[in-house]
Amino acid sequence: MSARPITPLAALVRRAASLLIVHAILIAGAVFILLPFVWMLITSIKSPSEIFSATFTLWPRHFNAAQNYGFALEKVPLLRFALNGVIVCAGILVVQVLVAVPCAYALAKLTFPGRSVLLALVLLGLCIPIQVPALPLYMGLADLGLLNTYFAIMMPFFLSVFAIFLFRQFFKGYPDEIIHAARLDGMSEFEIVWRIVVPSAWPAIAAFAVFSIVAHWNDLYWPLIVVSDTNLATPPLGMMFFADAETGSNYGALTAAATVLTAPLVIAFLVARRRFIEGITMTGIK
Amino acid sequence: MRKFGMLLGSVALAGTIAAAGARADTTTLDVLYAFPAFAKFYEPIAQEFMKRHPEIKVEFRAPAPTYDDGHQTMMRTAVTNQLPDVYFSGFHLLTELTRTLEKRNQIVDLDPLLAAEGKEFRTKNYSDRIIALGRVDGKLYGLPFNASSPIMYYNVELVKKAGGDPDHMPDTWEGIIALGKKIKATGSDVAGLAYNVHDWPDVWLYHAMILQQGGTVVAGDKVTLGGPDIGVKTLTTFRRFVTEDGMPLIDWDQSRQQFIAGKIGIFFDTPARLRQVTDLIGDKFTLKTAVFPIDNKAKGGMPTGGNAAIITAKGPEKQKAAWEFLKFATGPEAQKIVVEGTGYLPTNLRATGPDYLGPFYDKNPNFKTVAQQMDRSAPWQGYPRGNTVRIWRAQREIITATMRGEIEPKAAYDKLMKETESLMNAP
Amino acid sequence: MTAPRRTRDRQRLIETLAGYGFAMPAFVLLLLTNIVPLLVLLYLSFTNYQLGALDWHFLGLDNFRKALGDPVLRRSLTNTFVYVAIVLPGAVGLALLVAVLLHRRKRTRAIYEVIYFLPVTSTLIAMATVWQFILHPKLGPVNGVLKALGFGEVAFLSEPSLVLPTLAAIGIWQLIGFNMVLFLAGLSAIPRDLYEAAEIDGCHSGVDRFLTITWPLLGPTTMFVIVTTSITAFKVFDTVAVMTRGGPMGSSEVLLYAIYLEGYQYFHMGYAAALTLIFLAFVLVFSILQTIVLERRVHYA
Repeated sequence: MSARPITPLAALVRRAASLLIVHAILIAGAVFILLPFVWMLITSIKSPSEIFSATFTLWPRHFNAAQNYGFALEKVPLLRFALNGVIVCAGILVVQVLVAVPCAYALAKLTFPGRSVLLALVLLGLCIPIQVPALPLYMGLADLGLLNTYFAIMMPFFLSVFAIFLFRQFFKGYPDEIIHAARLDGMSEFEIVWRIVVPSAWPAIAAFAVFSIVAHWNDLYWPLIVVSDTNLATPPLGMMFFADAETGSNYGALTAAATVLTAPLVIAFLVARRRFIEGITMTGIK
Repeated sequence: MRKFGMLLGSVALAGTIAAAGARADTTTLDVLYAFPAFAKFYEPIAQEFMKRHPEIKVEFRAPAPTYDDGHQTMMRTAVTNQLPDVYFSGFHLLTELTRTLEKRNQIVDLDPLLAAEGKEFRTKNYSDRIIALGRVDGKLYGLPFNASSPIMYYNVELVKKAGGDPDHMPDTWEGIIALGKKIKATGSDVAGLAYNVHDWPDVWLYHAMILQQGGTVVAGDKVTLGGPDIGVKTLTTFRRFVTEDGMPLIDWDQSRQQFIAGKIGIFFDTPARLRQVTDLIGDKFTLKTAVFPIDNKAKGGMPTGGNAAIITAKGPEKQKAAWEFLKFATGPEAQKIVVEGTGYLPTNLRATGPDYLGPFYDKNPNFKTVAQQMDRSAPWQGYPRGNTVRIWRAQREIITATMRGEIEPKAAYDKLMKETESLMNAP
Repeated sequence: MTAPRRTRDRQRLIETLAGYGFAMPAFVLLLLTNIVPLLVLLYLSFTNYQLGALDWHFLGLDNFRKALGDPVLRRSLTNTFVYVAIVLPGAVGLALLVAVLLHRRKRTRAIYEVIYFLPVTSTLIAMATVWQFILHPKLGPVNGVLKALGFGEVAFLSEPSLVLPTLAAIGIWQLIGFNMVLFLAGLSAIPRDLYEAAEIDGCHSGVDRFLTITWPLLGPTTMFVIVTTSITAFKVFDTVAVMTRGGPMGSSEVLLYAIYLEGYQYFHMGYAAALTLIFLAFVLVFSILQTIVLERRVHYA
């Protein structure tokens, strides 16, 4: 098939047209995505009487930003909630990685009897949402007197099946020759994992870190069950101070608080973006 | 369960930061309530209390999102022996909760404590009707803290435009429906009224309509739902709200938002939201409240919503401290704080007097409305043998279908009776 | 000095020991946080245990028999399947579209990426109120636009026939960014020279390029996205619990929410346990099938 010659003008027009279409679609999608956030931000700077009005005004007449954000930051220990979020997410992440990496390596690179059974069990874990083991876990923790602790909030999530799968994918693509050479050099399997394989897996770990943090920062169901001391409240639990069923909420401050608590995640994603994509790429999900 | 606990114990990792409670020589009270926004009166009440009782420290657990969630938490903590010292239980769940706790010996009978205060204390502070709200199986387990009965919110400008008199709102339902019709006719975008029984989280608004006609929901161990006359009329009235007054069948939050935006004329809701609604309306229109219309002037009543404080503390010292807290919380000062921040009915007789809420009521007449219908407060009954939450979900679906016109009221009533009975008898 | 050489048997022994040792922590956690609770649930499902009860009876298979004939359960299954049926193509297809369009952008890519990823970071509690207002039949902007275009009012969250698609749309909104990132990664792994070679071979239009190169090479990624999206969609709970509470008239009661009601609102723990096991069975079958296919596709030299 021979190529048809195209005049430079036609090529330019075609390119412009395709760019137009591409951006039109992307922008339409972006509007759909951003609409709730725009409303959230605008509500956070409106005064109460303007929030629900029949005439949909985009820009507020009376700026209430200082009151709303002030209320959110002072009346409610938002920073405390953020701190709890950091502690809980960091704790979960560290243990998840420490547990998943060796297990993934074993599933990817080592042969031992029962490996497929383990794999199947791990897959089972992927299907089990937290609502399922919640009650037995709750009662077990209560028996041990460990309720209402950071440990209780973090514990059900220590095992991340997703991490095991992700890292396993990555490790499978890791060159066997390097591992053989290391073995010949007398390195123990343990050293091989932590000294050789992991350092090259940082992008994958970074990618997973973003997934994990984003998932657990916004966890509500489990912390709601095990936390009864407000000092331990994670961000969404803390958010519940503003939103409830009977006496309603200070919507301005609610959205202000939501903005404050969402910001760290957005910033984290911005920072980790590049690593994130590298990480997924390297896990061989090609 | 024990073995499982041991199993978990062997995996206790380092890095556990256990939240240690304050250990002091004072008695610490662990208190649980529902609806986080109520912190706005629980916190100041606790502060005031601690000022007068420096030997008692009041600490609040993370509040439950709703009465039902709080109920679940109590059930869970009863099983794991982690009950708080004081809990504010929604009235409709009080029976189920106290019966469960009583069987396990985890709740304190308040009759002896109240009697010890002397007859005068009782008659000066609490009316018979109010105390009755906290009785279960004849015993006083809860001291009513928040009480409310449904009131009518309305948009003065819309009422005037429809030719009504905002100072003399109708006190029968025929009158209300007629007024709603006229309001709807004033503009294409305006609904006459909203009575959000179809999205209410519990039976409150449904029972209200039955009770105000003088009917009963439960007779002994059987459920009547008003009986065939009142029961069917109730459903017909609900349907007329939609057909004649243009009531929108939407989520109750969305409905409230619509009222706040000035697009609904009359709105029936809990007085607990009065403060919030007033603020959100701002100067968009003039808001007034009026008493819930009662058709049966002799026997009509309304179910009382709200909560009562129960004591689940262990040990004489804690129980004594808890009782002191209960007395204060249901006392005139604390009730004043509650009412000013919400719109609730005060459960203390002295609270409405000139020393406490008198001036506030004078300046904010809207808040007084619920107090004016106090003598119509009837206990809010759950269904016999529990299962109230589940039964209401089934009933609500039928009621919604009726309001949408998918079932005729007579057929709907029969269906309601049938389903309620079968769910009541289910294990 | 010569390095010690391992015999094959010794190597195998070391691998086995290392394998067990490395997998031990994960295995123990798996037991404690998944297997043991499941066994407890299994036990409960044969009883009529109610939370707070002091005694309970053994019921045999009664709970399961009840479940098979339970119209509420059947309804929640249907609702869940409808939800998944809408979310799956939406969240996967739209994410793929966005990723493909974004892949070549240079200057605008970062902005779009962040925008599309935002919903993944959002807190549902705040967003619920936002969505309620945006979709409000009288006050919200969506209906405002519909009215301007000449359509009537649409009560998105209050019409039984509309509530599931609406929730599904919100579900798609939540998932697009996540899937988009996965697809972007997959796309960046396709070597550029393949495209250049195709260009030379006469493959000019974008659609052509997509069909002959991109789509086949994206296979494994696509399968991965499909599996995770469908499992996530099956587990839908939060939006229902916060926004519609199963209504109107049970039309948005999904499986996990129905189970939640049984266990935590009506306290029929035994029955809820049985329902949970049924739920697990469905999801397991679903994902095992998909994973087998995935493994086969990804298995390349």
